[in-house]
Amino acid sequence: MLMIADLHKEVRVGFRRRKVEILKGVDLEVFEGDVFGLLGPNGAGKTTTVKTVVGLMRPTSGTVDLGVAGRQQIGYLPENPYFYDYLSGREFLGLCGRLFGQSGGARRGHVEALLADVGLEGAGDLHLRKYSKGMLQRIGIAQALINDPQLVLLDEPMTGLDPVGRLEVKRIIDRLRERGRTVLFNSHILADVAELCTRIAIMADGRVRWQGRVADALAESPEGLDAFFMKVVQR
Amino acid sequence: MRRVVAIVVVLVCLAAVIGFQGTREVNAAGDPRVFVPSPRFFERLAPSFRTTIADVYWLGAVQYYGEHVDGDRRLDSLPAMLDLVTTLSPHFIEPYLFSTFALVDAGEPQMAYDLLERGFKANPRDWRLPFQLGFMAYTYGPKETKAKAAAQWFAIAGKLPGSPPFVFRLAATLLAKGGEREKAALMWGQIYSQGDKYARAKAVAGLEAILPTEKQPREKALVPLYRTMPRSDFDALVADLVAGTTP
Amino acid sequence: MTRLYAVALNTFKETIRDRILGVIVVFALLMIVASLWLGSISLGQEARMMKDLGLVAVSLFGLVVAVFVGASLLHKEIEKRTVFVILSKPVGRAQFIFAKFLGLAVTLACVLAGMGLFLFLADWIVAGSPAPLLLAATALIYLQLLVIVAVTMALSTVTSTILASVLGITVFAAGQLSRSALSLTEFGQSAAMKGLAWVVYVVIPNLNAVDVKPAVVGESSPDWALIAAWAGYLGAYAVLALVLASWLFSRKEF
Repeated sequence: MLMIADLHKEVRVGFRRRKVEILKGVDLEVFEGDVFGLLGPNGAGKTTTVKTVVGLMRPTSGTVDLGVAGRQQIGYLPENPYFYDYLSGREFLGLCGRLFGQSGGARRGHVEALLADVGLEGAGDLHLRKYSKGMLQRIGIAQALINDPQLVLLDEPMTGLDPVGRLEVKRIIDRLRERGRTVLFNSHILADVAELCTRIAIMADGRVRWQGRVADALAESPEGLDAFFMKVVQR
Repeated sequence: MRRVVAIVVVLVCLAAVIGFQGTREVNAAGDPRVFVPSPRFFERLAPSFRTTIADVYWLGAVQYYGEHVDGDRRLDSLPAMLDLVTTLSPHFIEPYLFSTFALVDAGEPQMAYDLLERGFKANPRDWRLPFQLGFMAYTYGPKETKAKAAAQWFAIAGKLPGSPPFVFRLAATLLAKGGEREKAALMWGQIYSQGDKYARAKAVAGLEAILPTEKQPREKALVPLYRTMPRSDFDALVADLVAGTTP
Repeated sequence: MTRLYAVALNTFKETIRDRILGVIVVFALLMIVASLWLGSISLGQEARMMKDLGLVAVSLFGLVVAVFVGASLLHKEIEKRTVFVILSKPVGRAQFIFAKFLGLAVTLACVLAGMGLFLFLADWIVAGSPAPLLLAATALIYLQLLVIVAVTMALSTVTSTILASVLGITVFAAGQLSRSALSLTEFGQSAAMKGLAWVVYVVIPNLNAVDVKPAVVGESSPDWALIAAWAGYLGAYAVLALVLASWLFSRKEF
C-alpha cells in the first residue's frame, strides 16, 4: 500500500540558510489492511515523513510509492488541526467533498453518513469555532474520510484529547480496520499503539530504527512496548 | 488612590485637548504665501489625476480667496493657483470666470485677461468666455479702443450657442459707441431679424440712435441692411422706423 | 471546476465575513457628507467635484481592500494551517492560487459595485442627471485593482503580510507613473541602461494608460478602443502575476 525507500529531506534554516537534514534515509513499508503506528521522540521526523507522503513537502531524494491512485485515495488529518471556523461542520465537510469533485446529492449523503460515523450528527450545523477539541479531532477524521480513502494518514490523532475523546478516536480507527482500510498514525501514547496497531516503526534522528509487527516487538521486550521503544531509540 | 489619579489625568488631558481646540481663531487666515507647484510637475508625476489635482486646487483657491479678500487682501498665490487649475484642467470653465474678478482683486487684471483668452482658445464654443473678455476689455482697456474691442468680443460671444440675446445687443451698442456705425447698424439688423418683440424694439431704438435724421443719408445708411436682411424683415424694420413706434 | 468553485466560494465567504462591506458604508457616509459640504466650498461645482473626487475615493478605498485582504489571503491559510486540509487533497497549487484570487475578485466586485452604485446615485441627485460613465469608470478601477490583488498575492508568497501590503501600494503608485517610466527609456546613456529601463517599464503595470475622469467630468470623450485594449492588457497582466504567484507557491513547503 505504501513503500518509502531511502527518503531524504533537507531544509535550510536561519539567516545564513544553513542546511539541516531532517530525514536521513527513511525506509518504510505499510501493507494493505495494516494499522501502522509511526513512533519516535520529538524531532525524529515522523510528521515530515507523513507530510512528504501527502505532498505538503517534497523529498530531497528517495521515493514514495503510494500504490494507490494518487491523492484521490488518501485521507489526511494534520497535527493540531485548524479548520475554517466560520463554517459549520456540515459546510466544512461539504467543502472537502467538493475538493474531491463530489457533487450534489451524493456529496450531501456522504456528509451525513460521516457525521453519524464520527458521532457529530447533532452538531452538524454548529460553527466549527464552537467545537470542543474532541469534536474538532472527530470532524478532522471525518474530512480525512470524505473520499472513502484506501490509505488514511493521521498525525497525532489523540493529542490533547480527554479519555472519552481518545476512546472515540480509537473506535473510529477500529472501524476503519474492520472495513479493510489501511491506517497510519503518529503517536506518543504507546498504550494506544499497542492496543490498535498491527505493525509499527520506530524513528529517531531522521531514520527508521526498527519496524515490524507489534507482537514481535513485545516478544523481544516482555516488559512492554515502552521498554522496547526506549531500547531502540537509545541504541 | 490609583483610580483617582487616573481620573484626574484623564480630566486634565481632556481639558487641554478641548481647551486648545476651543481657543483656535475661527477666521484666522493662513499665510497668504502658499507654495503652488508648477503644473508641469503634476503633469509628469500624476497624469491620471490631472483633473483631481485641479479640483483640489480649485477648492483651495476658493477657500484662499474667501480667507484673504476680506481680511488682509493679500492674494499673492491666487494667480499661481488659478494657472495650475486651468493648465491641468483646461476645459474646466468656472476657474476662468472666477478669475475675472478674483485676479483683479489680486491686482492682476492683465493676467485675468490672458487667462480668459487662453480659456477661450481651449473652449471656443463657450460663449461665457468671450463675454467676460468683452467685459474685461471695456473695463480695463484704453479709453480710445475699449468700446470697439469689447464689441468685437461680444459679437463673437453672441454667435456662440447658448448665448442670451442681450449679448448681441451689447455688441451693437458698443460698436456704435466706438464709432463703428455701419457695423453697429448691421448688427442691429441681425438682432431685429433674429429677435422677439422685445429685441426688435431694442433694435429699432438702437438704429434710431445711430442713423442720420436726414432722409437721403438715412436711406444710404440703410442700404447695407437691405443687402443683408431678409426682405420681409427689412420692410418691417423700415415701417417701424418710419412709424417711430415700437412693433 | 468543482474544486476551483469550492475554494473560490470558501474564499468569498471568508473575505466577506471580514466586515469588508463596512468599507462601503464608510464610503457612503463620506459621499453624503461631501455632497452636503462641497456645494458651499466649490462655487457651485459640486457635481464635478462629486464625480472626480468620488472616483478617487473609490480607487483608494478599493486599493485598501485589494492590498490588505490580498496580502493576508495566503498568509492566513498558512498560519492557521488550513492550507494543509486543502493541499493534501487533489487540488493543484496553481488551482489553489487561482481559486483564492477568484474568491477575492468576487468580494472586491461586491465592494466596488456598492461604492460605484452609491456614487452614481449620489451624483445623480446632486447633478440632476445620471452619469453612466461613472459606472464604466468604476469598472475600470476594478480591473486595475484586480492587477494589484494578483501582484500582492504573488508578493505575499515570499514576504510577510505587512511588507506585501506596502509593496502592493507601492506597485499601485508606480503604476500611476508608468508614462514617466516610458520616458526614462529615452534617457539611458548606453544600450544596457535603455534595456534595463525598458524592462522596468514593462514590468511595472501600466495603470495610467487611460484616465476616464476627464471624460466623466465632461472634458473629453472616452476612447473606447483604447479602453478595450487597456482592459485586455490588465487582464493579461493579472494572469501573468497569478502564474508567478502559482510558481512561487509551488516552491513552498509546509
